[in-house]
Amino acid sequence: MNLPKIHSISKKILVGALGAFLSFFLLFHATANLLILRHDGGEWYNAFCHFMGTYAIIKVLEIGLFGALLLHVVLAIWLAMTNKMARPVGYKKPTRSKTHKGSKLQVWTGILIFACLLLHFTDFYFVKIGWLKGKYMAKTEDVVALKTTQPNTFNYAEQHGEYSAKGNWLTNFDKEDKAVLEAAGLEVEPDFYHQAREKFKILHIVISYLVFFAVVWFHLRHGFAAVFQTFGLYNYKYAKAIEVLGQIFTWVVCLMFTVVVIGVYFGL
Amino acid sequence: MKFTLHIWRQENARAKGHFETYPLEGISPDCSFLEMLDILNEQLINDRIAHPVCFDNDCREGICGMCGLYINGRPHGNDDGITTCQLHMRKFHDGDDIWIEPWRAKPFPVIRDLVVDRSAFDKIIQAGGYISTTTGGVPDANTIPIPKHKADMAMDAASCIGCGACVAACKNASAMLFVGAKVSHLALLPQGQIEAADRVHKMVCKMDELGFGSCTNTYACEAECPKLIKRQNISRLNRHWIGALFGRDRK
Amino acid sequence: MKLDSKIPAGPLAEKWTNYKASQKLVNPANKRKLDIIVVGTGLAGASAAASLGALGFNVDIFCIQDSPRRAHSIAAQGGINAAKNYQNDGDSVERLFRDTIKGGDYRAREANVYRLAEVSGAIIDQCVAQGVPFARDYGGLLDNRSFGGAQVSRTFYAKGQTGQQLLLGAYGALSREIARGTVKLHTRCEMMDLVVVDGRARGIIVRNLATGDLERYAAHAVVLGTGGYGNLYYLSTNAMNSNGSAAWVCHRKGAAFANPCYVQIHPTCIPVHGDYQSKLTLMSESLRNDGRIWVPKRKEDAEAIRAGKLKANDIAEENRDYYLERRYPAFGNLVPRDVASRAAKERCDAGFGVGTGYAVYLDFADAIQRLGKEAVEQKYGNLFQMYQKITDENPYETPMMIYPAIHYTMGGLWVDYELQTTIPGLFAAGEANFSDHGANRLGASALMQGLADGYFVLPYTLQNYLADQINVGKISTTSPEFDTAETAVRQRINKLLQIGAEKSLNSQLSTLNSTDHYHKALGKIMWEYCGMARNTESLTKAKQLVSELENEFWKSVFIPGTANEMNPELEKAYRLEDYFELAQLVIDDAMHREESCGGHFRTEHQTDDGETLRDDERFMYVAAWEYQGHGQPETMEKEPLNYEHIQIANRNYK
Repeated sequence: MNLPKIHSISKKILVGALGAFLSFFLLFHATANLLILRHDGGEWYNAFCHFMGTYAIIKVLEIGLFGALLLHVVLAIWLAMTNKMARPVGYKKPTRSKTHKGSKLQVWTGILIFACLLLHFTDFYFVKIGWLKGKYMAKTEDVVALKTTQPNTFNYAEQHGEYSAKGNWLTNFDKEDKAVLEAAGLEVEPDFYHQAREKFKILHIVISYLVFFAVVWFHLRHGFAAVFQTFGLYNYKYAKAIEVLGQIFTWVVCLMFTVVVIGVYFGL
Repeated sequence: MKFTLHIWRQENARAKGHFETYPLEGISPDCSFLEMLDILNEQLINDRIAHPVCFDNDCREGICGMCGLYINGRPHGNDDGITTCQLHMRKFHDGDDIWIEPWRAKPFPVIRDLVVDRSAFDKIIQAGGYISTTTGGVPDANTIPIPKHKADMAMDAASCIGCGACVAACKNASAMLFVGAKVSHLALLPQGQIEAADRVHKMVCKMDELGFGSCTNTYACEAECPKLIKRQNISRLNRHWIGALFGRDRK
Repeated sequence: MKLDSKIPAGPLAEKWTNYKASQKLVNPANKRKLDIIVVGTGLAGASAAASLGALGFNVDIFCIQDSPRRAHSIAAQGGINAAKNYQNDGDSVERLFRDTIKGGDYRAREANVYRLAEVSGAIIDQCVAQGVPFARDYGGLLDNRSFGGAQVSRTFYAKGQTGQQLLLGAYGALSREIARGTVKLHTRCEMMDLVVVDGRARGIIVRNLATGDLERYAAHAVVLGTGGYGNLYYLSTNAMNSNGSAAWVCHRKGAAFANPCYVQIHPTCIPVHGDYQSKLTLMSESLRNDGRIWVPKRKEDAEAIRAGKLKANDIAEENRDYYLERRYPAFGNLVPRDVASRAAKERCDAGFGVGTGYAVYLDFADAIQRLGKEAVEQKYGNLFQMYQKITDENPYETPMMIYPAIHYTMGGLWVDYELQTTIPGLFAAGEANFSDHGANRLGASALMQGLADGYFVLPYTLQNYLADQINVGKISTTSPEFDTAETAVRQRINKLLQIGAEKSLNSQLSTLNSTDHYHKALGKIMWEYCGMARNTESLTKAKQLVSELENEFWKSVFIPGTANEMNPELEKAYRLEDYFELAQLVIDDAMHREESCGGHFRTEHQTDDGETLRDDERFMYVAAWEYQGHGQPETMEKEPLNYEHIQIANRNYK
């Protein structure tokens, strides 16, 4: 196999840079998720999702995000494989050297994260791109426009859907409703607010997400500090600060995710 | 004291090795680890059981970097900041099982028993781990003042003895601490900055070429370095690498 | 044999300048046609090879370890002297020259020592340019410390690892030449014999220690930088693999061996603690800057300490005998090594020793009180840690125990001013030669000499020799001289392997012994009867015991394995074989030199208060010995020492 020649340190720096980018996405994602906890019938959260789903620049960024994720994974596994080759004959006695917590698990937590991501995608992302079915919503003004032309559909929509707080959206449609509304020429989009609120009521899904967040915690805790080392920014003067900052970042991101899932489960 | 030794025996570079078990009694706790192996070898010679165990050693005071054994899962044994020759049997418990293995890394092939070939380190240095000077024609030593803390940092990095414990400890058999220490030592001094970008580039290329793994920030190297060389030197290496890739200092 | 020291004419201070101005040189195009073999990669060997390679010669360099950076120069702790006078404390080339001559008890060659002092400053410049991280003061300039035998601070240092840093500097320069292709490196190779063709050194036979193969290398000149023979005494501060064999095989081929009885005993080593012990660890001489050496004043206290009833800290201040400060008020704890060693031995022999009876205290309590623990830690932290790891005692709380041990050999191959031995084309540098330290070496001068020889002397003097070799052409390794030399090495190895093989077949297993068994026995004899103090009686006894032991060795040594594999036991055996001959020569030399000087102390010749008593009338010469065949007494040639510049005086450190 002829792979392009990238020096070991460059590879590592790339993995780190991509990791840092993905971490910022996580922070962004977790912060946005907090909107789910608003009891506004999805007014804010869905508005946010609508923006994310329709704005052109975001679409480009989305491709970048997936590219970054993929490259992060491929490079990391490539590194892990060449590293394995550097020691063809292993030790009989397992190592007892002191090491940085989590570093040795990084590849494995990474692979676990990738697996969990698939689960996450079946719940949300695949609904968005239409591979799977979930909850849907439509703009109220579009529905109201049907009042005169197709009163039946309008009534159907009012009965099956819910108005969001400000009434901008009619939400919480099922996949059957989606078919009806679309047949009437309405534009519907996924309703992640209700989708989330439905999923996070199911115990095994909640547990699997909590496991997911724990793995992310492990991965981030090593990754955050390691990025500084890899970029050559590690220094004794700031060692403590970086460590603390990493802890804060990791906990904040993971707790924000957790609060939403647990909060919804307990009816918050 | 009494021990059961499990030692890697391998007749030559091509032979297949295996572990051999040797019981050993009457060892003084003040005896050094290598002296304990001397005693074992003396017994093996006197009893004609087997060829004495080959192991590299020289100065026996922790500075030459020749000795290096992987003892019960740790390079240079279960103590911090020492080489194998400075390990004493009082660090073990009476009746312990002791597993002794050679350094394991693709660039460090076994020559015999516990002796490995570490010439890969010399090759990395030859790739650029020096300041290009020829004898004579240099300025007076005091014409280049160097801040004390910088000189001290350079000294700390320069105290590497090239034993290979960092490679042996690293799960990736990476030589980053060795290379980082040399790059840091020279780059921290004004004399070394002239060639700094070229040096880091050449040394890292050679390191990759020889088959060392890459750093995954595990820091086992730092934990096992007999001279307590810090991982900050790896970070500095990374920084200089970025500088070498994007800076204008390199040829 | 005729000794011609080739000292250039003219006033002392101008000799080296004149030599360089009038010597023969080799032009760059011709340098490429000339091959040089350098054996040893310590300070002398590595610096010589790097300098010669940079000049454009083809150099082959050999070391027995797996890397050039392992050479035992690396273990030097304290520092390197240079007459820079950076401290403005009255140092000068002249002062360093005088200190070294006086330190060597007026048994060194004036011209060589002056040259050493003259180039010392350039060494520091060179090393700094290479990136050696010498200690600096807060202004960023180089720092100095003081060392034994001097009243100025002229010692440059890099923590307690000066030798390491200097060697890594030379190793860097060497690595650069290897990368450029001017130097070829051969690791794990041991020089087994010197090949002499038409009276000139033309090559060497080496044994590849990884495979056991014998290999031939030819060159226009051979340089030895193979260190000293301190391991003759088995227990020494030398590395396990340091040996005297390279120099000795040259001696067998006709190179004269000078002053073998001048052996330096270092006063501050960790005492012997058991039979299994393989080496003695040195504690840097720099410790004597702040540490105070003492033993109990009362014998009963010493006895109680030895019995474990009292501890060092139990002895009250007034009951301590700071014997160096008492005997030598001017230099105190900083007297030269030989003086400090003998004083320790005198106290222990008189029954005041502590520990096993062969140890004295080196106490830092005063220094810790005066400077604070932190400052002491800053200065000596790594040494204290090393001590604690070995002895399991905390030197911050209880005094260190030290005792003298074999450290350095001032004797070595006789060389002239050009560092050429009595075999044309064979040069010797560093500890392997005898030239600069007389009967005793001052601290921090070994590094200076090794680098002076390698960087600044050999690159000149070798050219002077090689200038008329440009038309010789490549030296062939297939000549009969190479054949004979290789066959002889092969026979010698087989003979050794044969001894045990026959007996083990005849089931006489129990009568056989390992090489170490004989080496330890030899070391004990030499330490006991030809060590710190010698006399006719002890030397006669030593000679007889060594002969008996050697006979025993040739009957009963057992070497496992074969010649064609990695076999450390075989290596030990052929090195020990050489030590037996060398031991006889050391004893003969000690016997003939009926005076005390420097490291050579004959109890018959001492002053009333136990100081060395020289006999300048009869012994102001270098004794150069010529090999006459195995078991034959060697013949001695004298090179008179003419002190033209310096006023001879008694060595007085009071």
